[in-house]
Amino acid sequence: MWSYTFRRVLATIPTLLAVITVCYLLLHLTPGGPFDGERKVSAAVLANLQAKYHLDLPLWQQYLYYIKSLLQGDLGASFRYADWSVNDLVGKALPVSAAIGGGAIVISLFIGVALGIVAALRQNSIIDYLVMLLGNIGGAFPSFVLGPVLVMVFAIGLEWLPAGGWDDFSLRYMVLPMALLVFINISTIGRVMRGSMIEVLGSNFIRTARAKGLPMRTIVLRHALKPALMPVVSVIGPLAISSITAAVVTETVFGLPGLGKLIVNGAANRDYTLVLGLVVLVTVITVVLNLLVDLAYALLDPKIRY
Amino acid sequence: MHHNKSLRITASAVALALAACSGLALAAQVPAGVKLAAKQELTRNTGSEPESLDPVLAESVPANTITADLFEGLTATDSFGKVVPGVAESWKQTSPTTWVFKLRKNAKWSDGSAVTASDFVYGWQRFVEPKTASPYASTYGIFILNGKEITEGKKPASALGVKAVDKYTLEVQTPYPVPFMPSLVANTQLAPLPKATIDKFGKDWTKPGKMVSNGAFALKDWQVNSKVVVEKNAQYWDVKNVQLGKITYLPIEDHNADVKLYESGENDWVLELPSGTYDKYKTQYPKEIRNAPFLGLRYYSLNNKDPLLKDVRVRKALSMVIDRDILAKKVTADGQSPAYSAIVAGTAGADVTSYDWAKWPMAKRVEEAKKLLAQAGVQPGTKLKFAYNTSDYHKKMAIFAASEWKSKLGLNTELESLEFKVLLKKRHDADYQIARNGWVADYNDATTFLALVQCDNDQNDNKNCNAKAEALIKQGSDTTDQAKRKQLFTQAVKMIMDDYPMIPLLQYTAPRLVKSYVGGYGKNPMDRYRGKDLYIIQH
Amino acid sequence: MMQSKQKAMTAALDNGLTDAAVEGRSLWRDARLRFFRNKAAVLSLIVLAFITLACVFGPMVLPHTYEDTDWDAMGISPTLVNTHWFGTDALGRDLLVRCLIGGRISLMVGALATIASVALGIVWGATAGFMGGKVDALMMRIVDMMYAVPYLLIAILMVTLLGRDFYLVVLTITVFSWMDMARVVRGQTLAIKSKEYVEAAHAIGVSTPKIIFRHIVPNLLGIVVIYTTVTVPGVILTESVLSFLGLGVQEPMTSWGVLIQDGAGVMDASPWILLFPAGMLSVTLYCANYIGDGLRDALDPKDR
Repeated sequence: MWSYTFRRVLATIPTLLAVITVCYLLLHLTPGGPFDGERKVSAAVLANLQAKYHLDLPLWQQYLYYIKSLLQGDLGASFRYADWSVNDLVGKALPVSAAIGGGAIVISLFIGVALGIVAALRQNSIIDYLVMLLGNIGGAFPSFVLGPVLVMVFAIGLEWLPAGGWDDFSLRYMVLPMALLVFINISTIGRVMRGSMIEVLGSNFIRTARAKGLPMRTIVLRHALKPALMPVVSVIGPLAISSITAAVVTETVFGLPGLGKLIVNGAANRDYTLVLGLVVLVTVITVVLNLLVDLAYALLDPKIRY
Repeated sequence: MHHNKSLRITASAVALALAACSGLALAAQVPAGVKLAAKQELTRNTGSEPESLDPVLAESVPANTITADLFEGLTATDSFGKVVPGVAESWKQTSPTTWVFKLRKNAKWSDGSAVTASDFVYGWQRFVEPKTASPYASTYGIFILNGKEITEGKKPASALGVKAVDKYTLEVQTPYPVPFMPSLVANTQLAPLPKATIDKFGKDWTKPGKMVSNGAFALKDWQVNSKVVVEKNAQYWDVKNVQLGKITYLPIEDHNADVKLYESGENDWVLELPSGTYDKYKTQYPKEIRNAPFLGLRYYSLNNKDPLLKDVRVRKALSMVIDRDILAKKVTADGQSPAYSAIVAGTAGADVTSYDWAKWPMAKRVEEAKKLLAQAGVQPGTKLKFAYNTSDYHKKMAIFAASEWKSKLGLNTELESLEFKVLLKKRHDADYQIARNGWVADYNDATTFLALVQCDNDQNDNKNCNAKAEALIKQGSDTTDQAKRKQLFTQAVKMIMDDYPMIPLLQYTAPRLVKSYVGGYGKNPMDRYRGKDLYIIQH
Repeated sequence: MMQSKQKAMTAALDNGLTDAAVEGRSLWRDARLRFFRNKAAVLSLIVLAFITLACVFGPMVLPHTYEDTDWDAMGISPTLVNTHWFGTDALGRDLLVRCLIGGRISLMVGALATIASVALGIVWGATAGFMGGKVDALMMRIVDMMYAVPYLLIAILMVTLLGRDFYLVVLTITVFSWMDMARVVRGQTLAIKSKEYVEAAHAIGVSTPKIIFRHIVPNLLGIVVIYTTVTVPGVILTESVLSFLGLGVQEPMTSWGVLIQDGAGVMDASPWILLFPAGMLSVTLYCANYIGDGLRDALDPKDR
């Protein structure tokens, strides 16, 4: 397993290079440049701006220049946020997204699994239908509708929590955005868990355990939970990636300084260095999370070997 | 994306500027009888993260809103757009192309050192220096002798026409008469800069704890994409007239999120209401809704080189049948007023022109338009292609226009929503037929709007050109007679608009919610409100 | 020892083969019977059928068209007079007709893009998981890459290079949405691969594609069906993002995603503009979910 992990970490390097190259080309092929604005800057100013950010060099030279500074850990200067380096921007957005997205995923995992088990144990009863009705709210309503509703109820109506903003990891500001992400995530986790639990409960070894007269509680927690978690672990990977790196709507609704909005704004502003820097970060996060998921497979099912 | 992102300089008539040369401070006058709140703190949304707090790199409204509180130029503008003294106590035009500014001796940087004429010379040279790459370098730089050449790299920055005659006297040379100089220098792009601080910290000089500034406020905190906080600058020369102790600027882009923060009490100032909600909030918060027109024009660019639109009769017909009254009252319904000219009401240096058909009944306009189309050989059912960018507001207006052309002229419009930068590229390359467009004045003078329709101007997306009008504009620019200049410019605008290069639609207003306890909010024609003029009323 | 293992494998293989061959016909009938025993699933099927029919035929019989603006009836709330039963939007267009017309687009995009991304995800994930080793590593690193590429750029580039077309919308959405399914399927394949009957089939030389489609895919159906219904809302809403970028449907044509986006902007001022399309979408999604759960229960290979 250690050698597998090591190989996977090594494989990140070619993955990163490929992603950077693809995105680099995408950025330069996309119409509109970083300095196109409603007011067109004069040719002289444009030339000065391009010289400042080395955009006057041939593309391949810019590319090599970028790779070279990347190797030194420098993601370059942002065009859109002129006073900050991409390192600064990424360094400030990542903890916010990791706290909100990561926290939400952990909470969603517990709630989603619990909902799935309850529904599975009462398959096709009214309890099953109701649990799935509530659990699916985040899947059936778009988050840009659900988010403002949360704000209207808990911030404007009840005045319990702030309507948005961010204050140095103060929990008050984290509750509503995390709640929104939890709603979204449990709709997937709950349903996957329900299905897989029903499947496991129907398998021979559980039938044997039931025949022996073991209490349901023991059967579910001791015997059924582990195999039933397998598909849940599969979906946790993609959910965690999107909760941390692509929670654009959540960040917009609550005005959070996170990664998702930075990526969208970076792309909309054609902020080449910022987008590339974020792409590098998202690739690393994706690779790490997917590696963790793959290692979790091996933990849950000792037969899985890499 | 809303497009009043370009900077608006406040400027007012030359007469006003000259009248203000008394040297008296005219700021933050709290009317008698108003009781101030103990806590003088304001939170306002600026709509987006500032791209920089370096005054010469600031380009957008959010950045300029903040730099205008942190820095002060030779002059400044109050809540009604009037030019008031800033660091300069008085100024005079000593020749058609020379201005002399006398600086006050008690102006200080936030570190306590004196603001001197050489701080201005340094700041201005840095502004036009190619290495700085200020996006506004040629917009304002062209009004200062050699500014254009320096930006183009043809002359060194030291050649700029600005000179410290002594510690408190600044002399400015212009390449031609610039009557609006006192309002031009209110812009913080032309503020003094702290050389020692910039030399010491480089790019990082705009960070909290490092920045030294000379405005009514000093930088306290900057959480990127979250907030900028400034506090009253105790060293500011007019600090006794500054009421606010602290201002927090939010970068909320989503209009609905902005209103939600306002309603939950975390924001005192909604930058822009969501499209289609003005009436609701006007009824709900009658004392908090504020709405003042400003110098901005919503219009549709017509590609004058397009095979169909190169015929002036077609362009005229398209413009005639759009009912601006319904557009203003019913479709956008937020207090904007109909426009029939490239110049909007309140602009200095030219009169607003109009079309004679603007007063005709619609039936007559439609009849005339149909005749024009028939003469041009355009059959009903002909296809038009309209490009706009993602925004509820633009979408609503586009559907309205398409509906007018369809129901009144039988023309079919294909609407195409584009990502903002893609639209910009298409417009600049004239790769479109009809395109949404908008312009907010850079400074209060007719030339800022004339740019939209002048031959070969960077801002002319219509690609129209009227050589005769161009000659009149040249003639007007060279004259020192203000009345003559205005008459020539107005005549030129009329001439160009009769070519129907574009379709003017509406003049901007700034409908927003500001808490009733925020005092000092006026009617600024450039929609620019400084923290110095605002105060919190007891509530 | 050797022999007993061989024996166990053959037994397991026999089991698997009889499963597929002998019960081949009755399996689907069983599944159908089980599905129709699930009340929520059946009700959902009926509701979904009704919504689909309404979207297809409604606009043909209703008194208003989806594009006609009425400056005297702008943003009116639902009313019985004037036959604007769902009210009108900000430009005075009948909301009911627009919801139904929008449903046509959204249901079609939802169905096609979901099928396409699910199919791609299954093939990709099952292949990677089953082949393992270098193939798995390469295929999964491509998936990792796809998560990192900003979709905004791809969408803008697509519309710039290829123009606007319905199938392009489906293609673009598929490009954005297949990776989750691929990862989920691969994870399950890894688990199934290590089961005795698959190892046995492999040992006696059954061809790889045959193993994948005969033994792996059927055992994946449960999770696939559920994850498919999880994919639907994302697919439908992505379409509205594309329409902003000029790739999806353009005004005056509309879709549920676009209608909901418009409605969300004025949810305080004119809530019905949001409630009707959002209601139709969420009812559809709930139906899809219950049908998905019902299908999963019905197809469960162990639950017989």
